[in-house]
Amino acid sequence: MPVPILRQGDVFIASIQLEQTDADLAKLREDLARQVGEMRVRGVIIDVTTLDVLDSYATRMLRAIAYTSRLRGARTVVVGIQPDVAFSMVELGLDLGEVSTALDLEEGLAVLRAQEPDVEHV
Amino acid sequence: MAEHASLAQDADVAHEMGLNPPAIERRLRAVGLGQDDMVRIARIRDEVVGHATEYASAFFNYLQPFDDARDLLRNRELIEQARRLKVEHLHAMVAGNYGSDYAQQRLRLGMLYSRAHLEIPTFMGAFHNLLRMIGAGVLKNARSSGEGFEDFMALEKVAFFDLALITDVMVLDRERTIRRQQEAIRELSTPVLQLRDRLLMLPIIGMIDTHRARMLTESLLHAIRANRAKVAVIDVTGVAAVDTKVANHILQTVAAAKLMGATVIVTGISAEVAQTLVNLGVDLNKLRTIGDLQGGIEEAEQLIGYQVVAPVREARPSLLNGATPP
Repeated sequence: MPVPILRQGDVFIASIQLEQTDADLAKLREDLARQVGEMRVRGVIIDVTTLDVLDSYATRMLRAIAYTSRLRGARTVVVGIQPDVAFSMVELGLDLGEVSTALDLEEGLAVLRAQEPDVEHV
Repeated sequence: MAEHASLAQDADVAHEMGLNPPAIERRLRAVGLGQDDMVRIARIRDEVVGHATEYASAFFNYLQPFDDARDLLRNRELIEQARRLKVEHLHAMVAGNYGSDYAQQRLRLGMLYSRAHLEIPTFMGAFHNLLRMIGAGVLKNARSSGEGFEDFMALEKVAFFDLALITDVMVLDRERTIRRQQEAIRELSTPVLQLRDRLLMLPIIGMIDTHRARMLTESLLHAIRANRAKVAVIDVTGVAAVDTKVANHILQTVAAAKLMGATVIVTGISAEVAQTLVNLGVDLNKLRTIGDLQGGIEEAEQLIGYQVVAPVREARPSLLNGATPP
């Protein structure tokens, strides 16, 4: 089941669910790479709240999504990493590099807002 | 039922002390108990057995003036049991059989003393007095004082074997208490405090080992989620020493908190800890450190966007100066 990409203003929100496979993640990466440029969004939020494990493949995919989106002009925030997931990731030496993280969706949106350049709308 | 429990406990103690038959053999060899001693002990058996109750009473009477013996002497049940064990002890001392059962009996008595908070010096004093009384009795009935002395010395070997066992048990029990207390201290929950909305503080005091470090991490990460924290300040002022493992654990905690979108500030790294960390080659680049807790909290407030402003005192007209209030 492919990950649905929701649009909220100039932000994409993709919520990854338990049942999604590695192929779905790869598909998400492709979709985002295309749509971020097409739709001119400024930010992408990847929500992993329901996941109880993030393995090395998923971590690499998240990094790849973030870097790809960045190149296409959008910032990525990964939100909802659970405490146990976070600690086991660290123990396994997995790391999201420069990718921003936030506690939940609301926080993620706040992070994106804070990074927006101040442009006066006339 | 209680008897069963205490028997199981005694077996535990014997096991913890490594008191197996070879060990008992070694202890007997240490006091030099030989065949001729057995003959001598057999000769004074009647004298000791005949006055066993009297000697036991003397032992406990001797304890009367000592403060640390009060718990033992005041507890009727305990003192009855101790008396019974002591009489049994005196009987067994001259019975000529010093195997596992004999050692087990000594352990039971030692545990009893220890539970009653009897201290080793007091116990030694009472035991010495007991031996003196037995010695006097033996000498009185001996054919010659030389022979009486030799007979008594044979018994004294057994007595010293007993002493070694009982003091070992008392020391072991004290060590157990210390160990229990250490566990209790370790178990004391490591509090995660909320200082402001979205700002947590985790004061760490005392030794950190791997187990405690894990608990700290767990409670911090869950508190970050529960309180929706943005910043957490870990204060290690109360930590005297760290090793590589613990340092790495702190780094892991910081990284895990970051994955959850929270920033961790570490404060109060002491000179010693700082030097250890540098010597260990721990990579502290990922660590945000501030010298003291105050600085850490100020930094955290800034990160969240708080501004702390001292209250402005309003200049009030003073009654003393003759001004009239409005």
